[in-house]
Amino acid sequence: MPDDRPPFEELYRDYLGRIYAYVRAQVSTAADAEDITAQVFMNAYQAYGRFEARNASPVAWLFRIARNATTDHFRAHGRRERLRRTIEHQPIAESDPGTMAEERIQYKALLVHVARLPERQRGSIALRHSGLSFEEVGALMSCTEDAAKMLYHRGLKALRESVHKEGE
Amino acid sequence: MIEDEDLELLALQRRLDDAFQTTRPRRDFEDELWLRMQSRRPIWRRVRDGVAGLVEGIREAPGVPSAAVAVALIVLLGAGIFTLGGLGRGGGTSSTAARPATNDTGAVPQGSGFGPVPRPVFGEAVPPLVPGTGQAAFYAGAATLVWAGDLKVSVTALPVYRYAEPTEAQANSFAASVGALPSADVAQGGIGVYAGRDFTLVVLASVAQPPREPYVNVSDLKSTVAPTSDSVVMATEYLAAHHLLPTWPYQTDVQTSGTTVRVNFLRSFDVPGLGQANLVDSAGNRYGTEVDFAPGTTGAFETAPMPLTLEPATYPIISADQAIRSLGASSAPSGGSIPVVRITKAELVYTLVWGGDHSYYEPAYLFSGTFSNNGVPTVKRVLIPAVTPSLLTR
Repeated sequence: MPDDRPPFEELYRDYLGRIYAYVRAQVSTAADAEDITAQVFMNAYQAYGRFEARNASPVAWLFRIARNATTDHFRAHGRRERLRRTIEHQPIAESDPGTMAEERIQYKALLVHVARLPERQRGSIALRHSGLSFEEVGALMSCTEDAAKMLYHRGLKALRESVHKEGE
Repeated sequence: MIEDEDLELLALQRRLDDAFQTTRPRRDFEDELWLRMQSRRPIWRRVRDGVAGLVEGIREAPGVPSAAVAVALIVLLGAGIFTLGGLGRGGGTSSTAARPATNDTGAVPQGSGFGPVPRPVFGEAVPPLVPGTGQAAFYAGAATLVWAGDLKVSVTALPVYRYAEPTEAQANSFAASVGALPSADVAQGGIGVYAGRDFTLVVLASVAQPPREPYVNVSDLKSTVAPTSDSVVMATEYLAAHHLLPTWPYQTDVQTSGTTVRVNFLRSFDVPGLGQANLVDSAGNRYGTEVDFAPGTTGAFETAPMPLTLEPATYPIISADQAIRSLGASSAPSGGSIPVVRITKAELVYTLVWGGDHSYYEPAYLFSGTFSNNGVPTVKRVLIPAVTPSLLTR
């Protein structure tokens, strides 16, 4: 293992929460977020031996795996997810007491709005607020840094509109 | 007005920062996931970390002399979904030998079965675990699939096997049957931690995604079977000594990596009218029980599937032609950088489908073909559920 590559345990400890939040902002339930997060880290753990730090930072690499896993999730459950979002006012509503402390109510509601954004806007916001630079967001979304910024700001404005509409 | 808007967006960004920073999984999730990952460590990492892991494990197990840890040999014996099994990913030597079938499922009753069963969810192919062995890589992306094989299936119905999720009492009973008693709490996702003479045992529950059946890890401090020159014999005797010898049909596959050896006991199902059908994970890899060990050393760490009672029920399946049409439906339009893959192999297999209180082993068609991906031999697999779609619930 090259010296510039941190131990996987370190990545796991430092980024499990961030990856979970990134996924959670996009899917309807905490259970789905856990399943996807678990898949991300198990895949990453098995592939880490072949990861080359010179091609991408470990964080960007992890988020790429997370983005692929989330995309796969929507591919597999997209119709069901969209239907659920359409018919449910609070698609992230959880009754499990274990998840009650997961998020403060207002943040939870905000992430509901994020989850309703178009896929690329949602992705840019989730990646950006997971701590990635616009350059990294662009690389992950196969676009330039400037395009990532534009995507993000459009998403932000769409989010604001969505929040306003909710408040009307 | 514009300034107000900017301020509003800034405030929204701050709220987003807070939302993302305060959104975290439940407290036990980190430990649960780590436990799952540890149980699937690649062979060389498990061996490398084995002694340290044993020390940690044994600290939890009263009655096991800690001094013995110093002389521990690492023997790993596993049954994970994402194993080194299948396609000889271990590199080095590889051999396969058939074992007489000893299926414990018996005849399959005809009737209403279990009602609709959950649809399998097939995942991405797991990349090879041993790098640099010159073996084929796996490709999970979109591909233009060209069917170029020959698939004939004479059966129109196959059994689906169901098991109930084991309870803590059942785990305790199983542990007692192999000479271990409860010794410590286990993180959520596990069922129990037990201590036996010179070994610890961890029983883990089923996992939804990627699907995994309940299984056990056993950490030994010293080998109870004298090493022989035959890895399969040694692994088989070792399993027998721990009452973990599979009761289902299997084939063995031996792989080496450095000084360690892995013996895979790849599971099959005896299927009436079909013969044996291999068990594969959601990526199409064969798996079952694994035994990893380092010849010439003493001590052991094992993992094996928890023995379960399977209920069979017969379900109609789609024909070979229908399966091939489904394969075609999953093909991507040609063009751009999408590879064209000739699918030359197909077989009926079984795959685990998680269902909550009850999970299922269901038949599926496994298609595969090899293509050159920038000069690298690459395998593309496609799994198609075999049970008639009207009897699948999701």
